[in-house]
Amino acid sequence: MTLSQQRRFTTPEPDETLEALAARACPDLDLELAIERIRGWNLHIFLMRRPRGLLLGGDVVFIEPPLV
Amino acid sequence: MYDILIKNGLVIDGAGTKAVLSDVGIKDGKILAIGENLKDGGQQVLDAAGLVVSPGFIDPHTHFDVQLLWDGAAKPALEHGVTSIIPGNCSLSLAPLKAEDRKTLIGMFQQIEELPPAAFTDAFEWTWETFSDYRAAIEGDLSVNVAPLVGHSVIRLWVMGADAQQRAARPDEIEAMQDLLRDCLNAGAVGLSTSFVDVDENARPVPSRFAQFQELDALCAVLGEFGRMLQIVPEFYDTDITIARIDQLAELSLKHKIPTTLSPVFDNRQSPNNVPRTLARIEEQTARGARVWPQMQTRPIDISFSLLRPSLFFARLPSWVKILRLPVTERISALRDPATADKLVADVGEDGGERLMGRLIVRGGGEAPEHLVGRTLGDIAAERGEVPARALITLSLENDLEIAFLAANGGHDSTDRIGPMLANPLVHIGASDGGAHLTSFSTYGDTGYLFSEFVRKSGALTLEHAVQKITSEPAEIWGLKDRGMLKTGYAADVVIFDPSTIDRGIERPVFDMPGGGMRYVRDSIGVDTVLVNGQIAWAKGAYTNAQTGQICALA
Ligand SMILES: [Zn+2]
Repeated sequence: MTLSQQRRFTTPEPDETLEALAARACPDLDLELAIERIRGWNLHIFLMRRPRGLLLGGDVVFIEPPLV
Repeated sequence: MYDILIKNGLVIDGAGTKAVLSDVGIKDGKILAIGENLKDGGQQVLDAAGLVVSPGFIDPHTHFDVQLLWDGAAKPALEHGVTSIIPGNCSLSLAPLKAEDRKTLIGMFQQIEELPPAAFTDAFEWTWETFSDYRAAIEGDLSVNVAPLVGHSVIRLWVMGADAQQRAARPDEIEAMQDLLRDCLNAGAVGLSTSFVDVDENARPVPSRFAQFQELDALCAVLGEFGRMLQIVPEFYDTDITIARIDQLAELSLKHKIPTTLSPVFDNRQSPNNVPRTLARIEEQTARGARVWPQMQTRPIDISFSLLRPSLFFARLPSWVKILRLPVTERISALRDPATADKLVADVGEDGGERLMGRLIVRGGGEAPEHLVGRTLGDIAAERGEVPARALITLSLENDLEIAFLAANGGHDSTDRIGPMLANPLVHIGASDGGAHLTSFSTYGDTGYLFSEFVRKSGALTLEHAVQKITSEPAEIWGLKDRGMLKTGYAADVVIFDPSTIDRGIERPVFDMPGGGMRYVRDSIGVDTVLVNGQIAWAKGAYTNAQTGQICALA
């Protein structure tokens, strides 16, 4: 059985910053836009978490919006 | 001559086979014979006419780690027919743990277990640091069988100290964690647990959440040397993240040839596609050969609380949690202070708590005034001309905080939807959280509820299927050797119960934790006798202190 397509994600590299992760995940975008996108796609990290935006090694970080 | 002969019972062997009238002969802790009219006689004969005789139930998701140090029966789990438990879930176990890290771990344990502080200071002596010494500390007094997981957070804490909650591990630290995990597995651990959700008492993520995937992969390589389990707590509130976790587990399972399990998975009206999408992904990954088991609990979610103790109910209201953590006299003063109370009410939201608190029900069983029991907070608040959040505070103060509220309808409560999910061969019934969240809800009796709600009431599972789902299936998934079936040569873990009445009792508060600590429990209904390794551990409403529990041998 082939796997159906699911929302793509990455996981942080050791001590990777949001900037570095955004640049790696969205190499074709302007850095500021890439950061904005990553924030918007990952509210579990950038909105719901305390402290807000604390990036953890074990995180699932989506690199695209939800599939519809 | 058998040690115990169980006569005339309706024997359900746990393998899914149809029930048959039969006798079960037990000798030296094992099942020696099953058949009609066993002739050999028994030193003790139990008449099971009209009752089911089944393998003991297995609970794969518990936090009895601490309780086992003073209560080897994991009460009241045993009286519900649970004969084997798996503690050490969600990245937390009591070993391996250096003496200097005890305080840190107690903070994390209190967060999930809601045990009173006295449980950690008065109820037992900390005699161990290593996993094998913890095993030795509980082993002699067990009345229930135990297959302990080792927690990723404590492994990290041992190797990295305070940095475990700060940063990624270096390669040498990962290697040290691998060695430590190997020691634990050699000492009988059933696997490794990790969490992507849990926080400590200061709301800081537990150590396991700071680990890179590479670290988890390295630890799973060690699990692979033994073929042991990886348990995770996924972000169960979000389907996309849960599916991402399933994919990670599938990768680890295939690469290292290990079983994996994610716990919990809930069904909710707000996200009706959550379980169907989750199971569809599990099906795809299972077809590839991955072993990924989603655990689902049988009971609906509800939370009970009073302002006497911090509660899960306030998880999203940090200002309330702060007040509830104050010593009682200071807490009462704070709640009486108008400015503080105004702030608490404001923090609940613009509707004054109508949505969050309006449907709370005043619980009986405590000190609550008779005339309020069973009424909703919204109703009482309206009568008093207050918003619900304000009424919660004033009612609590008027009753010296001795008034408890029930938040029902927390989800996972549609019998019609959940029945077929529990019956699904891809679903692992578990996730009771036995021994945790003591002051928020009862984590005992989920097996009784499986029979009363999903066998008798809805018919989603046959009696034989329900027994299979909580006996041979978990034994097979977790690799518990010679358990989970009534079969010659297998351990004589046996439950004798009445299939027409087995159920969970009503939830009630008791004060039997160390230092008079409170917890919610449910009594068992319809369970006649429970045997653990061939000895009666509970019968006709009483514990026997059999102490025949074992650390489970693994396949
Ligand atoms: Zn748990």
